[in-house]
Amino acid sequence: MPKLKVPAVKKNLDKMIDFVTDGLNELDIKEKDKYISKIRLACEEALVNIISYAYEEEIGQVEIAYSYNEANNEFKIELTDAGTAFNPLEKPDPDTSLPLEEREIGGLGIFMIKKIMDKVSYKREDGKNTLKMIKILNSEA
Amino acid sequence: MSDKLEYSIQENQGKVEVSLSGYLDATNAGDLLEELKQLSDKEIEEIKFLVSELEYIASAGVRVIIFAKQKIGRDVSVTLVSPQEEVVDVIKMSGLDGFLNIED
Repeated sequence: MPKLKVPAVKKNLDKMIDFVTDGLNELDIKEKDKYISKIRLACEEALVNIISYAYEEEIGQVEIAYSYNEANNEFKIELTDAGTAFNPLEKPDPDTSLPLEEREIGGLGIFMIKKIMDKVSYKREDGKNTLKMIKILNSEA
Repeated sequence: MSDKLEYSIQENQGKVEVSLSGYLDATNAGDLLEELKQLSDKEIEEIKFLVSELEYIASAGVRVIIFAKQKIGRDVSVTLVSPQEEVVDVIKMSGLDGFLNIED
């Protein structure tokens, strides 16, 4: 499972996302560009969340790992940080039926992750948060 | 990749055109937002985002569009002109498609 561990700061966002999308780009699958764009978005939203909220004063690390299981076409991404316990999946979805004037700004990123990925789960273990996101690469992109 | 978004903003008698090309994401949406905030004290009736060259938009970019509607003026008409499929997908996912004009 390829892994990258870097300080969780916005300056590293592109490096973190490219690590995953470069890995995806090496796979021999159909409609790759479409998946890359969607997975880029899910990774950005999840990583921005970690960069913004996981660590308070000190700069902490985030570990990014991905793998592809050819048997079931699952592309799995795991993001792990040692910051404040926080389950983003508990955040209520934004009400996307409200007119723009009444929209709340928060929560949209997590909502997008849930829409894009086929399975998303969170665990807190040994003082670490891990967000696991799976996209099945033969499903609708 | 600090050059991954190019933008220009033109205002003429209450009509604003914002041209965007490249990637609008969390690393650069804040800069664009700051620029648009300068329009808040003007009488703006229409904002067109010219996005045919915009390849990618994340929630940070969607927030810029929501801001345009919320803060620049409630009656302002907001239009996306010639968005690529990826951008339309994100706009729909965010439930913005019913509240914006989308032109080919």
